[in-house]
Amino acid sequence: MSICTCSLKTIFAAILICLSLNTAASAPLDSVKLYTPFLKISVAPGEAVDYSVDLINNSDEIINAGITVSGIPASWNNTVKSGGFNIREISVLPGDKKNFTLRVEVPLKVNRGSYRFQVKAGDFDELNLTLIVASQGTYKTEFTTKQANMQGTSTSTFNFQTTINNLTADNQHYALTADYPPGWVVTFRPNYQQATSVDVLANGKVDMGVDVNPPDNSKAGTYKIRAMVATNASTAALDFEVVITGTYGLNLTTPTGLLSTSITAGETKRIPLVVQNTGSLELSNIKLESGAPLNWEVTFDPANIDRIAPGESVQVGATLKAYKKAIAGDYVTTMDATIPESTSRISFRVTVKTPMLWGWVGVFIILGALGGIFYLFRKYGRR
Amino acid sequence: MKNSDNISEGKGNSRALHPFMAMVNKEISDYIRSWRFMILLLLVFLTCLGSVSVAISNIDEAVKANATGDSFIFLRLFTASDGTLPSFFVFISFLGPLLGLIMGFDAINAEENRGTLSRILSQPVHRDYVLNSKFTAAIIVLSVMMFSLGFLVTGTGLIAIGIPPTADEFLRIVFFILISILYISFWLNLSIFFSVKFRQPATSALAGIAVWLFLTVFYSILVSLIAKAAEPSANASAGQVMAYQEFVMNLFRVLPGQLFSDATTTVLVPTVRTLGPLTVEKIYGTIPGSLPLGQSLLIVWPQLTGLVAATVICFVLSYISFMKREVRSR
Repeated sequence: MSICTCSLKTIFAAILICLSLNTAASAPLDSVKLYTPFLKISVAPGEAVDYSVDLINNSDEIINAGITVSGIPASWNNTVKSGGFNIREISVLPGDKKNFTLRVEVPLKVNRGSYRFQVKAGDFDELNLTLIVASQGTYKTEFTTKQANMQGTSTSTFNFQTTINNLTADNQHYALTADYPPGWVVTFRPNYQQATSVDVLANGKVDMGVDVNPPDNSKAGTYKIRAMVATNASTAALDFEVVITGTYGLNLTTPTGLLSTSITAGETKRIPLVVQNTGSLELSNIKLESGAPLNWEVTFDPANIDRIAPGESVQVGATLKAYKKAIAGDYVTTMDATIPESTSRISFRVTVKTPMLWGWVGVFIILGALGGIFYLFRKYGRR
Repeated sequence: MKNSDNISEGKGNSRALHPFMAMVNKEISDYIRSWRFMILLLLVFLTCLGSVSVAISNIDEAVKANATGDSFIFLRLFTASDGTLPSFFVFISFLGPLLGLIMGFDAINAEENRGTLSRILSQPVHRDYVLNSKFTAAIIVLSVMMFSLGFLVTGTGLIAIGIPPTADEFLRIVFFILISILYISFWLNLSIFFSVKFRQPATSALAGIAVWLFLTVFYSILVSLIAKAAEPSANASAGQVMAYQEFVMNLFRVLPGQLFSDATTTVLVPTVRTLGPLTVEKIYGTIPGSLPLGQSLLIVWPQLTGLVAATVICFVLSYISFMKREVRSR
């Protein structure tokens, strides 16, 4: 029996030696493993990935391994946690395993692609992990409109329909601002209310109207309006193009504004007139016409004006010639300044006076008659 | 002229008067004291009072009707009427000739018949002083009468309606009175002419009334006969119709009465702008409105000239025939 027990002891010893030899030889390299089940994960920007990693110690020694993560972009946050602690180094008993959690936060602003990084447990083992960012990175706001160009006159209001698309993973509070030429008014109307800021839920959309009101005296041309939505982290801008076609404004008046005059029948009178361009477009080929009483003559000097720049005015003289048989009293004469697009009319009240000529003739007839009496007095008066 | 003192002393005046003025004074006092003048004055006064009372009772309607336009309310006193009694200026145009005729029909021949004409002429005065003083005195009396009548109407109206006349309205009233005096003086001169021509005052009065009747009644009948004869056919051109209308109108304008009514209408109604026929070419483009006084006067200037001319012609005729006639004492 002694032989038996002896042989058993040697077998155990040999096994033990074998085991101890084995561990002693491969403990630093092969017998310590890092393990996690999911090596490639597809994530959306802004998501956080929790890797559950096991550190397996197959050696027969206690190992101490420092956990490091390398190859992760600097802006990505990562934490290694286990048992409620942020950990840097783990110790594992022989034949045991320890679990820790690696949390990787993919930022919102990230380009799409594959990101590889390594988790190292000291010099023992390393894990190659891959995060696939499937969509383009999204610390981003989309501010879009279907129609960014509008045309109208300087008196119209341009209403742009826009959409704010919050692609970020957070609710955002956007400030609404705009760059525009002086004198213009830009109004934001998210949810049909006039506002200066708007809340958009994460990955939500808000339709917003942008009213652009140019000053009435704007000249024709193309104007750029930049509307901006901004948070502390994200901004988006949208360029609107407003094409103002300009208005035709024509006004005929007199320098003093007085619209009445007096004239002696059969004679002429010169009336100074002013043709004003009150619109925002240059006026060209302005015709001056008149609607005078019958047999009256109205001539304009000049009868045609080639062009008037916006805001400018041109002096014109109208020469009125009254019909010589016009009766005394008030007549109305209309004068028009006409362009194909517009017309301006003034009504002139012309007070006609009858010429004094026949009055003087009457006076001379009476004087002649009285002279005849005087002659009679001399001749027959018997003085 | 040296003997001017004689006459004035003879009349008991302390101040030296020009003999002509002395004669005018005498004539005026003769007129004023005559029963004829009194009756005439009463007649004119009563008729004018009647027409003014009618005008005042109708003036509110006139004001209402005129509410939109220029309101020459005060002038309506002279023109407003309800149809029962003619208005003031129609009365004047009717009574004026009568006034002139009655004042002058016996101016010379009565003196002659009484034998006072040769006595006057025996005084050292010019012969034409007799005629001139008669005329001047009558004109002065008539002027005073017409002005007092006109201002009486103005004053009554002022009390009745309480709206004072504007300066323009007042001037128009004054011109209306002056035109009336001119018109009456035409008839005065006509009757003086008859009084020179006819020895009997009755004859001259009759002649004057005959002329008056002829001009107011028969002449218009005559004109309408002529007008009917000269009437253009129904399909005459517009120009022919115009010429015809003007022809008829000119026939009427021979009448002093027509001249007077044209003139007074234009002066008293400022919205009257022309007296001739209105063609479309004249009307087109007109705005209703009133004329200033000067323009109204210019419109009626031919009428006034015609009245002055007619008056002067009558005066000249009577002057010549008076100066050429033989004056004998009986």
